[in-house]
Amino acid sequence: MHPRTPTEYALRVCIDGELDIPIVASRFRAWAQRSGASTIDIARITTAAIELTTNVVKYAQRGELYGRLLETPRQRAIELIVEDRGPGIADVAQAIGERFSTGGTLGLGLPGVRRLMDEFEITSQLGRGTVVRALKRIE
Amino acid sequence: MLSRHRINARDLELVRASGAELLPRLDEYVEQFYAWLRQEPEFGQYFNDETLLRHVQNMQVEYWKRFFIGVVDDSYVINRRHVGEVHARIGLSVAAYFAAMDISLAMLTDMLPMSDTRYETYRAITKLIHLDTAVVTVSYNHIINEKMAGQAQALTEMSTPVTSVAEDVLMLPVVGLIDSRRAQEILSSVLGRIAETRARVFIIDISGVSVVDTAVANHLIKLTRATRLMGCKALLSGLSPAIAQTIIELGIDVSAIDTHATLRDALEESLRLVGIKLVRSHNE
Repeated sequence: MHPRTPTEYALRVCIDGELDIPIVASRFRAWAQRSGASTIDIARITTAAIELTTNVVKYAQRGELYGRLLETPRQRAIELIVEDRGPGIADVAQAIGERFSTGGTLGLGLPGVRRLMDEFEITSQLGRGTVVRALKRIE
Repeated sequence: MLSRHRINARDLELVRASGAELLPRLDEYVEQFYAWLRQEPEFGQYFNDETLLRHVQNMQVEYWKRFFIGVVDDSYVINRRHVGEVHARIGLSVAAYFAAMDISLAMLTDMLPMSDTRYETYRAITKLIHLDTAVVTVSYNHIINEKMAGQAQALTEMSTPVTSVAEDVLMLPVVGLIDSRRAQEILSSVLGRIAETRARVFIIDISGVSVVDTAVANHLIKLTRATRLMGCKALLSGLSPAIAQTIIELGIDVSAIDTHATLRDALEESLRLVGIKLVRSHNE
């Protein structure tokens, strides 16, 4: 788990319970809208942010969400990182597989995020926590 | 918590020792403190009653007596937390509370006699006052969170206006975000209204919803199933192109839900289902 300095990421939201899900959603959407992404891309990345936030609340109770705009002369992308110091995921491959859920829900969260975004990476250590990094090219 | 504030046994010992000097002079402190308090604009509103003022002063003396016992255990922390809750409930700002603690620190430590351990004692008292203030700040947060949860609850209750739009047809427009609490609220209010009105069709319009994630989709699917069990058909309307696309990409199977692009389509379908025909009148 590499520590992140707050200045690196334009958006940083603390996740500390269910009441924070709508807060994350509205702050993330407002921020994403300023990036100039299309309506559909905003819907995709906001949905991804909510899915990952919901997972944190469900399994780790608290964590953090980071967002930043990555710009190179050739492309622009929104990077989203959600991390927690929760119990971790025993079998990452299984968790990102279709319709697997330990929480009694649809089991489409992680695979769904993977489909919504262009890049998707998950690092998890049992007892240490989970970091999900996802990226969406917006142009 | 003690180690976080770097308070060691020596500090507590110094606090206790200073108590022997300061406790007999607490009345002096209280007098000075209230002289300062009276000129603070925010405090004026709380102390227009003499009995109340005396009660608060007594509580304050108790507070400092406890402080100079110099024992920080669970019951001490619970006591400090309670103090914070009381101040937060009456609406005193954290800034005002902090200012009051700071002036108290200055007043009390000014009363310390000159000695070799004066600075050390000053530091010990400062650290413990800061620990107290930290606990109180956490209580403030707690109370604010409670208030926010209450407001969220109130908002949720206000935002499930299930309305009858035609005979046998109910409609619910949903605006904003649906979390599991709100979904639960929607489910029970919809089922209640269906039982009450014996409606046959129920339209849920989500044109005001900005994001549909898997949890929300799950709630909508459950809602459809539950209304069907009550003999009522659910129609979902108001899916924007962006939401439709994200639902598909998420991989959610929405075949169980009867969806319509606009509320108008859903309304027409509902009238057809209950056998109502709208006819334009020709008498204008």
